[in-house]
Amino acid sequence: MTDCGWTAGKSLEGGPIMDFSVVIGGEAGQGAFSVELEATEMLAALGYHFFATKNYMSRVRGGHNFHMIRIADHPVHALSGKPWDMIVALDGETERRHRPNLREGGIYLSREMTREIESEARSAFGSAVASNSVIVGLLLSVIGADSDRVADAAGEERRDLLKRGRSFAERWNVAGHVAIPPRAGTSCRLDGNQALALGAILGGCQFMAGYPMTPATSIMHHFSMAARSAPVHFEQAEDEISAVNMALGASYAGVRAMVATSGGGFALMQEGVSLAGMTETPIVIVIAQRPGPATGLPTRTEQADLNFVVHAGHGEFARIVFAPGSIHEAIRLARDSFDLADRFQIPVFLLTDQYFADSVHVVEEALALEPRFREPPAVDSAYRRYRLTEDGISPLAFPGLSDSLVRVDSDEHDEEGKITEDLELRMRMVDKRFGRQNLLRNAAVPPTRFGDVEADTLVLCWGSNRLILQEAVEWLVGEGIRIAGLHFGQVYPLAAEMIAPHDLKSRRLVSVENNAGGQFAALLKRELGIEVSESVLKYNGECFTVGELCRSLRRIVTGGDR
Amino acid sequence: MMTARSDIAWCPGCGNFAIRDALEKAIRELPVPRKDIVVTSGIGQAAKMPHYIDVNFFNGLHGRSLPLAVGIKLARPDLTVIAYSGDGCHYGEGGNHFIQTIRRRLDITILVSDNQVYALTKGQTSPTTDPGTVNSLDPEGNRNLPLNPVLLALSMGAPFVARGYAGDKSHLKDLIREAILFRGTSVVDILQPCVSFNRTNTYEWCGERVYRLRKPRTDLFQAMKTAAVWGDRIPIGILYRNEETECRTGKTLYGERITDEDIRNQLGLPCVMMR
Repeated sequence: MTDCGWTAGKSLEGGPIMDFSVVIGGEAGQGAFSVELEATEMLAALGYHFFATKNYMSRVRGGHNFHMIRIADHPVHALSGKPWDMIVALDGETERRHRPNLREGGIYLSREMTREIESEARSAFGSAVASNSVIVGLLLSVIGADSDRVADAAGEERRDLLKRGRSFAERWNVAGHVAIPPRAGTSCRLDGNQALALGAILGGCQFMAGYPMTPATSIMHHFSMAARSAPVHFEQAEDEISAVNMALGASYAGVRAMVATSGGGFALMQEGVSLAGMTETPIVIVIAQRPGPATGLPTRTEQADLNFVVHAGHGEFARIVFAPGSIHEAIRLARDSFDLADRFQIPVFLLTDQYFADSVHVVEEALALEPRFREPPAVDSAYRRYRLTEDGISPLAFPGLSDSLVRVDSDEHDEEGKITEDLELRMRMVDKRFGRQNLLRNAAVPPTRFGDVEADTLVLCWGSNRLILQEAVEWLVGEGIRIAGLHFGQVYPLAAEMIAPHDLKSRRLVSVENNAGGQFAALLKRELGIEVSESVLKYNGECFTVGELCRSLRRIVTGGDR
Repeated sequence: MMTARSDIAWCPGCGNFAIRDALEKAIRELPVPRKDIVVTSGIGQAAKMPHYIDVNFFNGLHGRSLPLAVGIKLARPDLTVIAYSGDGCHYGEGGNHFIQTIRRRLDITILVSDNQVYALTKGQTSPTTDPGTVNSLDPEGNRNLPLNPVLLALSMGAPFVARGYAGDKSHLKDLIREAILFRGTSVVDILQPCVSFNRTNTYEWCGERVYRLRKPRTDLFQAMKTAAVWGDRIPIGILYRNEETECRTGKTLYGERITDEDIRNQLGLPCVMMR
């Protein structure tokens, strides 16, 4: 048993697995991200299975950032946690921080070597920046990428740079070090925030307002890039209060709208959440979590805002909180959020985190890419925005579509939207707004189960931990450990029907969360009376690795570290 | 149908009644059907205004009428958007929105019932309260300098800035109509005597001081000089009108479909790392 937590070195089919992890470390602004970006672009173009994520500091220059890419001959969606197969040092810190964790026989590109690449890039191509592409070429050579295919995929501009990387690999005797077959075929490569922006646009979202905040900013970027040609608009607001109110204004006017932020920005948005609840104005709110309280660790990951989001906004009203666990799920849930927000006239939340936002995946599943369109509602002259109806849903319409006026009020209001202090009517309006929570329970998205279906031990997770846990469970099952996982993509409301098929009450339940308080486990107990017996919690700002989860879960199931 | 005066939550004699009449008449004179007019408002006595005129409205939260108006205007450039609130809402709680909304250069009309007091909460200091004014939270007198809203609006680049007075209804009606018809961000600060909580800036006080400007200034610095006049004499009318300022128009969103090509473009975007 190695200390990385892995016991198996074989694939499920029995052959040796090809699994290669590389870390590129450097100061902010030095090019480590450019290497990651270019490498993932090339890997996707060449049809490799890979996963990439990053660990970076809240600064623009200096410090130490590192970018991790795992390349394999099978789908991978998490950091393995195994010792590095290759380290690229763009700074001195990389040696100190990562070299002790280099696999025996692994490749170490020292600072001296990367300096050599830089100086050759400068003399051959006139710029040290070109060295990023040279390093990518070297990496592709290490994994045995076909030189003709690399040249084709690279395009005119980068061809020579990548070729230079290959000659470095040959010079240093690392070409073809670990030949990994490209088996992903033609697939798409997305990070979490791209997936959310794409899902939103598929869902017919045409308006987004936001104030930049890590790790949500790139959702705004992707939306604003879409706005260059598509009928969508991004408006940078003066603060998050303004952002959420702008989105509510757009939604009231008939355009599907969203906002994205992180915990601190969401704190400012809360009054808008309550306003959405009172005025029954549909809105989708993305919260990419980072460690708090306050400014916390701005560029790291955590799942500590679940309680906050579930309870956000004063007063009582209905809401849905999704926590997607994969790119595919994020696209689907983001898209569906707009239909649900409309149908139930509520705020719908997409709760992710920095790890999810900044991780790049190959999407193996086929994506449904048909954009949705909301047909304009029919309005008659007797229209009342808050009409009390049998199913508790008032007709949603927008101003200017007919002579009927659309009036909404943050005060308690009557069916026409006019301010009222009729206390009997108040109760009926609360029942309408809050009672919708029961309709939402019926529409809840069920959790996803994986692993040994008969297992006594069931590990619960939510949000971004899904694919890390899924791989850990697969490996433990491979070791003969009876274990299964259950991922909640919808974390609120929780309904008995969601868990009914999984017989939670008769199993030993373990929860895995990136927080210190076990917030989801507590929510599960409060909402459904389900209690977990153990929790695996991590709150240092980093994600779990597969190896780390394997170790913790093995210890829990077998009572010790074998 | 007009709301019966008895349903209105304002005090008898409140300046807002006259403003409502002026606003109602101005709307009637517009070449725009009521169904295409949206009034946003915040919270406060003035913010109840849209309940008392027949228009679409979004009566939102305290200080937030302007972000709502921005969202509505960007989503639906076809709508005529008016943000109505008081001095506490527009200049206090929503002060930053006031500044930033003007910068956005949208065709929005900002109307302010400026009674120099927080009336709904019963008489506390507002951003425009005179120095030295004594009230429940300022028993020793207001120590802050008052904000000059028209000067602020000018300095932010508002192309149409006016001051009206509730005691001069027909003049006010014309100001409001001109402001709404103006293509660009227009600001009208309206002197609105509060009969319950402001014993200083009364109808009599205002009446003695206001004088009508003959024609709008088109020179910004002249306008700023006039806007700075406050005390024994208070100018009312259009302080500044600049037809040259470019107004930003949002693109049509409502009813437009996102295409398969839009989605393909989205899939082709590179990942980014943003702190």
